[in-house]
Amino acid sequence: MADLPPGSAAKLKSVALESGATVCGVADATAFDAYAPEKHRPGDLLPGARSVVVVGGAQPREGDWAATSPWVMQTMGTTERIQGVGRRLAQYIESEFGYYALYVPPGTASGDTPFLSLMLAAELAGLGSRSLAGPVLNREHGFMYWSAVITTAPFEADGVETSPACPAPACREMWDRERTTPCLATCPGSNGGCLSGKLENGRAVRTFYDAARCNTRVHTHWVGGFQKVLEETLNEPDRDKRKMLLYGDFFTRSLWAITYSSTNIAQCFECMRVCPAAHGLREMR
Amino acid sequence: MTREEQVKAVGMKAGARVVGIAPVEAFRAKVPEGHRPEDILPGARSVVVAGGDGPTAGAWRCPDHRVMEITGYDLRENVAVHAMCDFIEGTLSHRAIQAPSLPVHGHEPPMSMMHAAELAGLGTRSLAAHIILNPEYGLLYYAALITTLPLEPDQPLAEPACPHPGCAAMYKRIGTTPCLRVCPACLAGTVQDGRIQTSTYDREKCHSRAQTYGIGSFQKGLLQIVNEDDRERRRTMIYSDFFTKSIQSLGFFRDSIAQCFECMRVCPVGRKYRKLQ
Repeated sequence: MADLPPGSAAKLKSVALESGATVCGVADATAFDAYAPEKHRPGDLLPGARSVVVVGGAQPREGDWAATSPWVMQTMGTTERIQGVGRRLAQYIESEFGYYALYVPPGTASGDTPFLSLMLAAELAGLGSRSLAGPVLNREHGFMYWSAVITTAPFEADGVETSPACPAPACREMWDRERTTPCLATCPGSNGGCLSGKLENGRAVRTFYDAARCNTRVHTHWVGGFQKVLEETLNEPDRDKRKMLLYGDFFTRSLWAITYSSTNIAQCFECMRVCPAAHGLREMR
Repeated sequence: MTREEQVKAVGMKAGARVVGIAPVEAFRAKVPEGHRPEDILPGARSVVVAGGDGPTAGAWRCPDHRVMEITGYDLRENVAVHAMCDFIEGTLSHRAIQAPSLPVHGHEPPMSMMHAAELAGLGTRSLAAHIILNPEYGLLYYAALITTLPLEPDQPLAEPACPHPGCAAMYKRIGTTPCLRVCPACLAGTVQDGRIQTSTYDREKCHSRAQTYGIGSFQKGLLQIVNEDDRERRRTMIYSDFFTKSIQSLGFFRDSIAQCFECMRVCPVGRKYRKLQ
């Protein structure tokens, strides 16, 4: 922090929380080198990068999880609110501290490859750790969405979380009893699901994850759904069936999803719905 | 604090970098009927314009061109405009609406945000695609509100932001400026006595470069897909990166994300804010 006024990281974090983040942490830019492939490290995107500021939040509220209609989360859960915070922080770092700041685009450079892994960034910034189900879980707040800013400012880095949220005590007990956990039981890779894993010495070890299958369920109504119906429509010789496809609920909902949510609106939350750690530590009445 | 200062303070607090005020009468000289503020909000007296930041200085430095091609801007100028509308209606009891700026016929918006920014004293047209440059910050993005509230207007800038003294000197020396040199395909112009004398901008050509992924590319890709008889080729086209990115662009890129920034990349106006540590 030699080049920054004392308390800069604390000030930045306070601005992040005021702007709508639930948590904010800082990772050392060089910490990515051990895990991220070339071209996907902070310095590849911003020459001279020193820190990566990560914000988490915009997660479903407990009321969303408790809603009886699956459509609530299928149509309303989006990452956009936390992305706005990331953009604000990038502007703030440049105008207040005078260092370069690059808001990491939440989209992909090509295919499914992100510019910078936001999950890795969250882990390295000490905001959470990977769960057996996949998402990074914050110990206090559970499941959340992430946004990151790469900067040349040498903010003091936070330490990596040492005590993972996953497996939760209840999941350890379930494993001892049934050799499975809530997330593995709800989406078993051995039975048409996406996940397989185990607990070893009390730690979660994921042994299988079918990303392609998961993607077709999580993003049922989105860009992929649009492309699928378009292809089916063009292959359909019957004029009336074509009309039904285009005006069908599936295609209509896909169009809503694309225009409503910029980068991420999910239609499957089941592994997180059953996860005790995903819901945070605060009890709700 | 005057009413004008109050309104501007609300806009700045909501994220605008600059806020200016234009009187509705000022639009009559150059704006055709049907596109003037009072044509959109009966009884309109003032137009308040907010300028918001574009890419950060860090984004300009990124060696991966795809970052700026898909990064959504803050678009805080729109938030600032809505905050000011709420303040004007809620506290000052006058009608206020966001001025419509998305194209309704071709490239034509119901109301020009560029012209509004000029009249509100926030910037002047440049040689670079006629983009409005703020003399302090350079490239900004503009949104405006129309209100029935009478406000003391700001004056249009007496001194143009473009050409920058460095560009005027360059023109004198070698007959071009950084923007004209970097994009002779879209831009042409002359400078005399430190002022823009002529300026030509090929909008159609620029649009096809600056909006590679957007509504236009979606329409182009869709037409080619529909016209393709071979089922397998159709499939390849539908799931290609180009068409996928075009679909994503409909939701993500919104109205102003661009895939070419070259004339602005070389522009010195506001560059001091792009030189950081």
